[in-house]
Amino acid sequence: MKRIAVIILLGVLGFFIFSGIYSNEAFTEFGNVDLNNRVSNKFITKSVTDENDIVEFGKSSNLETGSANYVTSIVVNYRSFDTLGEVTVLFISSLGVALLLGTLGGKLTHKYRANFILRVGAKTIFPLIALTGIYIFIHGHLTPGGGFPGGSMIASAVLLLYLADENFRAKMSSFKLAESFAGSLYVLIGIFGLLTSGYFLNNFMNTGVIGDLFSAGIIPIVYVLVGLKVGSELTGIITDFLKVEVDE
Amino acid sequence: MTNPVLLIVVPLLLAFLSVALKNNKKQLLFIAAVFNVVGVFIIENGSYVIGGFRAPYGINLNLDAYSHLAVLVINILFLLIITMSNEKTKEFSTVLLVALAGLNGMLLTGDLFNLFVFLEIVSITGYILSTESKKYKYSFNYLILGTIGSGLYLFGLIILYAIFGSLNMADISFKMLSYDTGKLVVPIFLMFIGLAVEAKLIPFNGWVRGVYGNANSLIGSLFASVYAGTILFVFGRVFGQVLVLSEYLVAVFVAIGVITLIAGEVAAFSKNKIREILLFSSIAQSGLVALLFVTGLIFPTVLQLLNNIITKAVMFTIAGKISDDADTDEADKLKGIFANNKIIGVSFTVSALSLIGLPLFYGFYSKINLLLGLFSKINYFVAAFILLATIIEGAYFIRLLVKLWTPGEEGKESNIKFVTDRKVEFDFNKKVIAFMLSLIILLAGISPSLVKTNLFAMNKLLNEENPSYMFELKGGM
Amino acid sequence: MIQYVSIVLMLIGIYGLLIDRNIIKIIVALNIFEVGLNIFIVSVGFVSGGVAPILTSVNSNSALIYVDPLPQALVLTSIVIGLGTTALALAIARKMYNAYNSLDLDEIGGMDND
Repeated sequence: MKRIAVIILLGVLGFFIFSGIYSNEAFTEFGNVDLNNRVSNKFITKSVTDENDIVEFGKSSNLETGSANYVTSIVVNYRSFDTLGEVTVLFISSLGVALLLGTLGGKLTHKYRANFILRVGAKTIFPLIALTGIYIFIHGHLTPGGGFPGGSMIASAVLLLYLADENFRAKMSSFKLAESFAGSLYVLIGIFGLLTSGYFLNNFMNTGVIGDLFSAGIIPIVYVLVGLKVGSELTGIITDFLKVEVDE
Repeated sequence: MTNPVLLIVVPLLLAFLSVALKNNKKQLLFIAAVFNVVGVFIIENGSYVIGGFRAPYGINLNLDAYSHLAVLVINILFLLIITMSNEKTKEFSTVLLVALAGLNGMLLTGDLFNLFVFLEIVSITGYILSTESKKYKYSFNYLILGTIGSGLYLFGLIILYAIFGSLNMADISFKMLSYDTGKLVVPIFLMFIGLAVEAKLIPFNGWVRGVYGNANSLIGSLFASVYAGTILFVFGRVFGQVLVLSEYLVAVFVAIGVITLIAGEVAAFSKNKIREILLFSSIAQSGLVALLFVTGLIFPTVLQLLNNIITKAVMFTIAGKISDDADTDEADKLKGIFANNKIIGVSFTVSALSLIGLPLFYGFYSKINLLLGLFSKINYFVAAFILLATIIEGAYFIRLLVKLWTPGEEGKESNIKFVTDRKVEFDFNKKVIAFMLSLIILLAGISPSLVKTNLFAMNKLLNEENPSYMFELKGGM
Repeated sequence: MIQYVSIVLMLIGIYGLLIDRNIIKIIVALNIFEVGLNIFIVSVGFVSGGVAPILTSVNSNSALIYVDPLPQALVLTSIVIGLGTTALALAIARKMYNAYNSLDLDEIGGMDND
């Protein structure tokens, strides 16, 4: 009975939402968006502070943001404050997980001994995955990717090591330091921008030619920090979840 | 020139550092709170862009009279509350630091998506703080409701983005002026649900009873005072100043506010536990403040909001401390408890009477202002409901006060020897600060002009014909 | 089309939240809701015939038609926030299981009458 009531309720809600959204002609249909009506228009030509007609890959230089990847330019330049908030959300939830589960003392032990292939394979693949992760966050301004996917890859490499080696957890405390360090440095970069130019998180470095590795000012630096931070936070969450209740 | 972004990033920086400096967490929290209180006095009004990209393309912080007053009050209350419950802060220092950053961010930001991010930060700190009571069922409930709420807020916001092509408050507000707002019912209503969950409006407040009802002195007063104050200030910003509401939506929101107000007061009337009385009173006050913001009264609403959060800070700290020490907060088991704790009793009484709005207390000044405001808008219907709510409020608060002051059974001889044998020791910090706050309430009640002149930001708020917000639009872009 | 599907996904998520009494299922429903929301956000930025918003040696010019990059940046934030809340919800779920020895909200409700 409850199911039917809920389905009816959701039917009404769905009708309300659909009719409300799609009866409005200003809500552009899927695919018919005109960027000229949106703030993104200026992000494409990178002309929020300067006026640019056209931006060309490999030619334009010293723009307000040097990232070839527009999404990255928004995430780390135009709306960098959101990203700081985002990093904070991850930080606080990993901290919450630690507060909730950190008091558990026991260690999850596998019921089996990791077999030879897993042990050797994990050790071989770990550097490769970690390297890919680092590559991804360093090239966040040129290719799809950035600090968040890169950081998650590093965390996945650590998870792999867990599966292979139960005694790995003893070495985890340094991740807390990395997390604290990366987060503080991110804020300090922002404050440095504030002191030098009057704007928090201002891009105080020169941007080079679009498409070069060293072309995006503070973006790669921030993304390295974000990558480290995300990596260590996700690792922390995994660590806490692998703890088990001790029987007393 | 001092940039208000420091109010957000300094606590954040200290929060990150506090992970490494484990042993000094508590001091870092205190430093950040003091820094922010000093900071709010030296920041200057204006629109501050982040990263050097002008609004609406980049994110800006909007410090006008309204948000200046808000950060002033919230930061001072935060400092006072953590000082009052100093002994409980250690475990949660980092969480509280992040919460402080998030609360300031919510109040200052001039971007609706950035508001969502800070709202999430603050809610997550709320979920974590609520687990302190070990009643995980309620924390889980809170988390699910809060997440759905902010998800719906984001949904509504994205629809607005698709229509207006911007996320900036001032920009959207400006574009909405020349738009048929009757077509925006769905997105605005979705955003309303999102904020209503946190603002405790009926029917989105299922989490409140479990979370507030089990909170200790620190967490209860933080939730009821600082968190509730912030979310209501933000509510006033978004629905009172930024979004242009159609008449239909105003009617719906006012109805929700009135229902929340009356239902909250009635529920409070039927309760016996101190914290439950206070939490339902908080719900009722949220409904009142929300409905007043929606009707467009800014200045009187802010006065009433201040009345609510200052008095709730005192009362929740005391109620939380009583239930921490005495293991119960049922008024019937605590008869005469104030007879042994006179200073605390006086502070609690002053706060309660001010919340009701008796003359001589600050609450009278705020309530008379809001009633006059409603009369000037020819909104007698709402005014009648507020008066009705005041009567109920008066009844249960006075009943509660009588129980807490007079030992012995009702209608029989009252004697000191009937005082409850449950011992509650209030420490120095709580006594001094609670007493100080009640003195402020009294002073502001006796001479309301003090409020007007001393809270420098408020004078500008009086000028409602030209909400300060629209000036920022012209100046900031 | 995909936009309709995303809204329907959100509704399915809300359905799950209202019907399910198992904590883990509720968290899954919450994630379905978030996925629907995220797809909706991305879909709002889609431009027919637009290319991915990255300047490369192939798409080397800002005069081309790009899809809206802003919703993509927003969805990144939204995903990370979703991850954070899910992790916290799972941690609370584990504590609930430890405390009440059950993952069913009906059973838990019966044990804790305060």
